[in-house]
Amino acid sequence: MATALPTRTATRCFRTTRPRTCNQHIHSRRAFHSYDHPPPPGPFGATETLILSAAYKHVPEHGFTHRALSLGACDAGLLDISPSALPDGAFSLIRYHLYTQRLALAAKSSHIFQGEDAPVGVGAKVTALTWERLMANREVIHQWQEALAVMAQPSHAPASLKELAMLSDEIWYLAGDTAVDPSWYTKRATLSMIYSSSELFMTNDHSPDYVETNKFLKRRLGEVQSVGGALGAIGQWVGFTASAGINVLRSKGARI
Amino acid sequence: MSPTLCIAKSMRLSCAKTRCPAIVRCLSTGSTSPSEQGSKKLKTLTKEQREYLSSALRVNQAGELAATLIYTAQTPPITNRHPHLRPLMSHMYEQEAAHLRTFNGLIHKHRVRPTALYPLWSVMATGLGWGTAVMGREAAMACTEAVETEIGGHYNAQIRELLEMITTWKQEGYDVGSEVEELVQTLRRIRDEELEHLDHAVEHDAKKAEPHWLLTNVIRAGCRGAIWASERV
Ligand SMILES: [Fe+2]
Ligand SMILES: [Fe+2]
Repeated sequence: MATALPTRTATRCFRTTRPRTCNQHIHSRRAFHSYDHPPPPGPFGATETLILSAAYKHVPEHGFTHRALSLGACDAGLLDISPSALPDGAFSLIRYHLYTQRLALAAKSSHIFQGEDAPVGVGAKVTALTWERLMANREVIHQWQEALAVMAQPSHAPASLKELAMLSDEIWYLAGDTAVDPSWYTKRATLSMIYSSSELFMTNDHSPDYVETNKFLKRRLGEVQSVGGALGAIGQWVGFTASAGINVLRSKGARI
Repeated sequence: MSPTLCIAKSMRLSCAKTRCPAIVRCLSTGSTSPSEQGSKKLKTLTKEQREYLSSALRVNQAGELAATLIYTAQTPPITNRHPHLRPLMSHMYEQEAAHLRTFNGLIHKHRVRPTALYPLWSVMATGLGWGTAVMGREAAMACTEAVETEIGGHYNAQIRELLEMITTWKQEGYDVGSEVEELVQTLRRIRDEELEHLDHAVEHDAKKAEPHWLLTNVIRAGCRGAIWASERV
């Protein structure tokens, strides 16, 4: 059946079956989580998932790059032409990391929240989940500064920020926070800031088991509680992240 | 044109045929037609449906928040001058507080972003409640009359929309989950309670407020504006 298709149609179709609406996909997943109805399709098509999951294994060695995508495509049984089916290129691979690691948190949380030294209370659970998510960067942390430079590009920044917002939402939700008042916003904004600055810190942390990152994270979370809310954390975050982020971007050749 | 065909084709062109079967199998599991899903055949909510449901829960949360604040602000001035209205005021307040708890729970459960205009609605609802209460019992009741008229119509519109969703699913041969059916029940119950408030207000001389036509029209326009904004922000 497939062989009956003329070549040109097949190629055109291959390109158009995946519309360039990745941002919309991510966006729409926030709206109304149903427990009855089958979930909406994820942000990646079947072929994309195939290529990306294979390419992801090459990230520790080759980074979030076209090289990793090509190797992944080959592993998946597709030749080099196939990565062009991923319109966002290397950014797709970054998004794949963000997306899969965010979803993985739910399963991990049931382990974290069991046992004798399980965190008690929403605050402790947020800390534990945030740390767990940071540790999911372990295998790729030496490639993460390059990834941050790609994420900061104007065409990718909205999708990157959206993923960050969804990670914060996931953590507060899994931690069992039920507030739906204005603190819903400040909590998510604050955690987004703390997570991203901790992640940036981690890219330069060479201490064993990232103890320095762990201390950094706990200091930031502690400040939010002691300084009395988001304002202190925002000032802190803007200060640290702006200077550290600019340094990272400059070191990657951005002219800013 | 199905992606399966196209990708299978491009695979055939670009690399060894041996890997094709695995990939085609992987691709074909993506679709969920009613016949493929065991006993419960529910259709995936479309993006539009999920956005509609989110915005409906969000605007309802905002509305019930406003309602509790209106009654909270109205109660002291009204019951000071008319102690016999105390049971009615507290009965209506209790019902509004229960409505708010219902929608707060649903917002959390379905992971919907709450209204971003929370502080604005708080200030405006408190101002409206207090302002009408100091104008007198009739004005306070006219306020309830106007608000509940708008809110009753607003809940009716939501119920109609959900019933339409349900009808379409049934026509297409899908089942209807308890989630949406229960939501319709909840909206009906709350709508009925809002209309009760409307009746109470009219019984207590809402129509005698001066100038009734101006007061109710201004408040109803305000409600429509607030609903419009809450659906979006
Ligand atoms: Fe109500
Ligand atoms: Fe009411």
